[in-house]
Amino acid sequence: MSYDTDRTYAYIQSGKKLRLYKIRRSSGRFIDTEGRVKGGNLDSIIYPDEAISLGLRVEYTAIVDPFVDKDPEATAVGDLTTVTAPTESTHINLNRMLSLAVVDYVRAMMAERIGDLEKKEYYLREFHKKVADNESNRNKMYIANTIKTYAIK
Amino acid sequence: MTILELMERANTRETKLVIAYVKDAINKMQSSNEITTTSAKQNIVENQRDYNLPADLIAIKHISVLDTEDDNKYKIIRRLASEPLVSEDTNP
Repeated sequence: MSYDTDRTYAYIQSGKKLRLYKIRRSSGRFIDTEGRVKGGNLDSIIYPDEAISLGLRVEYTAIVDPFVDKDPEATAVGDLTTVTAPTESTHINLNRMLSLAVVDYVRAMMAERIGDLEKKEYYLREFHKKVADNESNRNKMYIANTIKTYAIK
Repeated sequence: MTILELMERANTRETKLVIAYVKDAINKMQSSNEITTTSAKQNIVENQRDYNLPADLIAIKHISVLDTEDDNKYKIIRRLASEPLVSEDTNP
């Protein structure tokens, strides 16, 4: 019977492992025979003291379905089928901007193969610019402010 | 965009190499941005501290623990600022 898990659990990452701890809350204060309050905060961390079925959830980034059978920008997500052995006709499961970023990455790696490091750096910069553009496109927002009644207009 | 179109734009004919580079590029993008996220769940075992992270993990977004007292919601937990004193426990 877990409760307030956002406040009673904590973790730390250690290599490929996740170390999970439970925080045991304790005020640690007690009143002595003369009525004085002593002690401080004695919160301690312990190992999980209960079993929780499917209790730990890890949300993370991963390479999820990198190749699909249809154009992902023209097909509903549910209609896409993952391709495990991609060929030349397989689609990359990215939008147009990120696909163009991947083109720059491939150009950069090809330039590196022939020892043209200047060209490699140029295309890698283009790759990062496109990835950043894609990220900022998703974060566009418009803020509307109300005008106060007695504001000078 | 198909692999073929990508190869034509990059002016190369090496399909397998391009496919490997595409995976590398996606890996690189996922390291610094959240293009796509996924999740995995596992049991919490009493008195067990260590849990395996997913093998395909690139970057952690959130760690949550199930709150059975609050309508079975997964609540995001905090990361400890520093490692506790015990590094290995031979008798947990």
